[in-house]
Amino acid sequence: MFRFIHSSDLHLGKRFGNFSGDLPVRLREARHGALARLAAFAREHGASTVLLAGDTFDTETPSPEIRRQALAEMRHHAPLRWVVLPGNHDSLQASELWRGLQTEAPENVILAMDCQPLTLAPGVTVLSAPCTTRRPGRDLTEWMTGAATPEGTLRIGLAHGAVQSFSEETVATDVIAPDRARRSGLDYLALGDWHGAVAVDPHTHYSGTPEPDRFKHNRPGAALLVSVEAAGAVPEVQTLVTQSFSWRSLDLHLLDGMDSVSALQELLPEARHRRQALVRVIASGRSRLAGRTALAAAMAHAAPDFAYLDLDDAPLATECESADLDIIDRAGALREAADALLAEADDPARSTAEREIARAALTRLFSHCETINQ
Amino acid sequence: MKIRALRLFNVKRFAGRGVAIEDFSDGVNVLCAANEHGKSTSFEALHALFFQPHTGTPGDVQRLRPYSGGNPLIEADIVTADGHFRLTKQYYSGRRASVTDLATGRLVAQADEAERFIAGLIRGGNSGPAGLLWVRQGITGIEKRSKSEEDGDKLVRASLLESVQGEVEAVTGGRRMAEVLAACAEELAPLVTSTGRPKTGGRYAAAIAEHERLVAEEQRLKADVIKLREALDRRAAQMKRLAEIEQSDSRDERRNAVLRAQAVFDKAKSQSDVLKTAEAQLGLVRQQRDIIGRDLAAFREALGEAERIRTERVDVDARRRTAAEQRDAAIAAIEKATLESDAAERAEKTAREHLARIEAASRAREAAERLHELEQRLADAEATRADLERGEADLALLDLPKGAVDELQKIEIDIARFRAVEDAARPSVAIRYEADAGERVSLDGQPLADGEERGYEGQAQLSVPGIGLITLRSNRPQSVNTKLAAAEASRGKLLASMGVASLAEARQRQVDAQRKREQIEGLRNRIRALAPDGLPLLREEIMRRREAGLAAVDAEGDPEQAKAALTAAEHRREVARDALRQVQPLRGSAEEALIAARTAAAGLDAHAIHVDAVLGLEEARKEREDALAKGLADLETRLSEMEQGVTALRASLIDLPSAEAGLQRARSVEETATREAGALRETIAGLNGLIVRNQDEAIEEQWRETAEAREAAARRVEAFRAEVAALQRLQAALETARSGARDLYLKPVMTELRPLLGLLFNDVSITFDEKTLLPQTILRNGQEEDVERLSGGMREQLSVLTRLSFARLLARDGRPAPVILDDALVYSDDDRIESMFDALHRQSRDQQIIVFSCRQRAFLKLGGTSLRMTDWVPA
Repeated sequence: MFRFIHSSDLHLGKRFGNFSGDLPVRLREARHGALARLAAFAREHGASTVLLAGDTFDTETPSPEIRRQALAEMRHHAPLRWVVLPGNHDSLQASELWRGLQTEAPENVILAMDCQPLTLAPGVTVLSAPCTTRRPGRDLTEWMTGAATPEGTLRIGLAHGAVQSFSEETVATDVIAPDRARRSGLDYLALGDWHGAVAVDPHTHYSGTPEPDRFKHNRPGAALLVSVEAAGAVPEVQTLVTQSFSWRSLDLHLLDGMDSVSALQELLPEARHRRQALVRVIASGRSRLAGRTALAAAMAHAAPDFAYLDLDDAPLATECESADLDIIDRAGALREAADALLAEADDPARSTAEREIARAALTRLFSHCETINQ
Repeated sequence: MKIRALRLFNVKRFAGRGVAIEDFSDGVNVLCAANEHGKSTSFEALHALFFQPHTGTPGDVQRLRPYSGGNPLIEADIVTADGHFRLTKQYYSGRRASVTDLATGRLVAQADEAERFIAGLIRGGNSGPAGLLWVRQGITGIEKRSKSEEDGDKLVRASLLESVQGEVEAVTGGRRMAEVLAACAEELAPLVTSTGRPKTGGRYAAAIAEHERLVAEEQRLKADVIKLREALDRRAAQMKRLAEIEQSDSRDERRNAVLRAQAVFDKAKSQSDVLKTAEAQLGLVRQQRDIIGRDLAAFREALGEAERIRTERVDVDARRRTAAEQRDAAIAAIEKATLESDAAERAEKTAREHLARIEAASRAREAAERLHELEQRLADAEATRADLERGEADLALLDLPKGAVDELQKIEIDIARFRAVEDAARPSVAIRYEADAGERVSLDGQPLADGEERGYEGQAQLSVPGIGLITLRSNRPQSVNTKLAAAEASRGKLLASMGVASLAEARQRQVDAQRKREQIEGLRNRIRALAPDGLPLLREEIMRRREAGLAAVDAEGDPEQAKAALTAAEHRREVARDALRQVQPLRGSAEEALIAARTAAAGLDAHAIHVDAVLGLEEARKEREDALAKGLADLETRLSEMEQGVTALRASLIDLPSAEAGLQRARSVEETATREAGALRETIAGLNGLIVRNQDEAIEEQWRETAEAREAAARRVEAFRAEVAALQRLQAALETARSGARDLYLKPVMTELRPLLGLLFNDVSITFDEKTLLPQTILRNGQEEDVERLSGGMREQLSVLTRLSFARLLARDGRPAPVILDDALVYSDDDRIESMFDALHRQSRDQQIIVFSCRQRAFLKLGGTSLRMTDWVPA
């Protein structure tokens, strides 16, 4: 029985320039913190090894601080062993990085830089397929088929890249054979690159990133605890949530007459978790002018609770009735202006951009009039 | 619409009780009471009735409620074109609204229907001004006003524009419009300039600048990252190459290759030296053999030459002898031919002289005969000449003057004509004889023929046979014809001069003369034939010939024979000369042949001396030839041996240039490898510097960070752009609506306002700009004043007048509306109020005006219906 933690895509050093304030620093720090959390889970579950299936570093040239501090953290958790595989972001082409790692790596950090069988423990061999360049253009795991190991040895593959379309980069010419585990007689194939956890088959898994870095996957960052009883057995895979920040896209579908604000409140996480949450609310459906402005106001009000809160209300259609316009004015020039804007917003002859502008102007007029009325 | 009564219950200070104001009249109504009597309460209640829905409890409604609570009830009786109605509204519990037709007591509408009815009263159509026009203490709108707004009131009110235009906008939605616009402007101001460009220092411009900065930064970093990646790739490739070069196996191999090539080269070089020596020796022997070969050939050639000279010498001597013989024969032949030629010439000369003599004798004879003939011809010619002279003398006698005959003939004709004329005038007689008349009658003795007419002069006698003599008398004077007489005289003279009797004779003489002339011509021709050159020349020739008369030569012989002898002599001489000419050249050619033979002999002799010198003594010749031939054979043998040796050497030779090239190549491989390794180390060192520097700066992380930040900045810019577009669109929509409303109402209002202004301010005239509708100038006592300096009173008055103008406008449209004033004239002095109300009274007989005022004294004098409040309890 061999037990290990499978993780990947730590992207240490990622800077998050698309956010402002201290959030980028916190997010960056959280990525470094993932190492400690992985180690803690390993200890907790009696795993002796952490396999990092590529993209441990975000770039080929991370700053010395990132590299050194990561190694120091890994060293701290000895005798836990870390197997670090070069991924596409930190491929072997980044010779400076890997030379630095080679000279600085402590004993409990193994750099999987060669296509060589690596004995982890008696009867346990890791076959790694390090990324030689950013885009190797071929299946790097091909060699595993020909790599002979003694009868009864556990064969664990370690690779980074796309299996069919599971790639973070859209163009994937260097596809790993989806049945690599079967072809090469692997008991487990630990894959990296895809940031969400995916089980390709019982023997092949993407662990996903332990700390999410985008809204795309909409699932918590996790690592896999893998236990293999013996060669040929189906591995037991357990998901461990490791994330420090949660990244969520929330769909807020509104119907006419629905209270947009209470619908939003129901959707948003409880206040305690908001500090560590990055949330994007995608509003869709239909809403009255008042509901729309109320939603915007509620979002603005809730925003400081969150690490990041964003409203995308482009898919939300605005319903406008005469009562709404009465709030602007029953008659007179204001009402004239409101009617003109409404007509323009609903005019199919106009471009979408023009209609959007007219609708935004109408919404603005509405909210101003509401303020004045109060 | 007009208001007839207002009743309220449980409103504000009237907790648990009610008041009623009844009997509003059509014109000016004044409710004059001290403060705290409920004027404003009535005013507010009236306003709420018309503007606050019964269902709601906004601030305005809340304020209506007494402190003790309760449900405010408000009721008003009104008159419209459709009839008399009572409007009732109750707020809070038991809230209701109803409209009752006062004429029938029938409930017209309830609740929302009632609200719609009321709204219809105050709203002149969709966008028209309210059907009620309100003016309150110092302010011109009814809207809620904030504290700060009240503070800023003075400022806001300071402009006349607000007091006039503000009113118009109040009824066209203006104050809120202004607020929205102000809010819009407030939101836009930090973002864009008035022309819509991003404002420098504003957040929008900053976002744009930030985005641009990030784009540039990203580009820069991207370039650096690419450079870094290239450097990494290059370094990897170069390190790989260096490792290849530096591998110990390949280095040894390169060294060994050099050593091998060196050995090959050395061997090739020594071989080449040996071959060169052998080749030099071979060349020497070949040279010796060539020399001896040439000597032998020369010797043998000289032998042949000596033989040839000998043969030729014999031949030349024979030719010399023949030439000498030929020359001697030619000399003899020439001598003989010369003798014959001389003899032939002499014979010819003799024959020629003999012939000449014979011919001279013949010529002398001919000359004597010719002279004789000429002398005879001269004699003949001279005789003819004498005949000619005689003929010419005869002719002179016969010849008539030229033209005389023709003259004579002419005169004859004239005479005949004159005579004919005379005859015609003369009496004449003619007789036609009968056929059988035998005898002829004669006139003056001349018989008259049958039919003949005959004239007569004076008197004539007819003798008629058988009858007698008949005398005929003309009895007319004898006329003398002068012309005829003259003609006859001329004729006579002419005939005499010619010596003839008549014309016929003259003609005869003429013919004779012609004949004589021809005779003379014949003689002349004869002389010309005899002596063509004239007689004198003929005579001269005869004289000359006589003097040259040749002496007769004595010569015998036949000239023909002499000629034949000469021809034969000439022929002999020609033959002799030809013979001489033929033999003469023989001598020349014979002598030339002789000289040539001699010269050839001399040449051969000289050549023989040279050949002999080469050959040496005759008896040693054979020996020498043999010696030369043997030497040559020896050398040939040696040469062939040596050639074989050299060929063998060549065959075994290593090519020196290729050996050298091989060596050079091996060396250059080694050197290149060393150099390349050095260069690679240098480049790698340089790349190391670049990579380490970039690595330390974590440039790739920076790049990714900047790219993300740039995307965020782009979104921000886009958000600002959308915000600005929406705000600008809103502004535009509001401006458009406002200017539309302004066109619709403000201009007509100004038209209404102008005469009212005239009524009120007879000492002041205000002009408005037609386009902006702003007051342009104020003329007071002829002095132009600053528009801003209107007094508070004047502003109030303008405010009231503006509403009045509106009211008039609405009335004109068939929608009369009351004007309600609540202490609207606090700043105006009593006189002014009075004059204003005078104006109002006069101008608004149909205009209902309701005035709430505490200034009892001032308003007492104003007239109009005085209203009173009475207690009222709803039924």
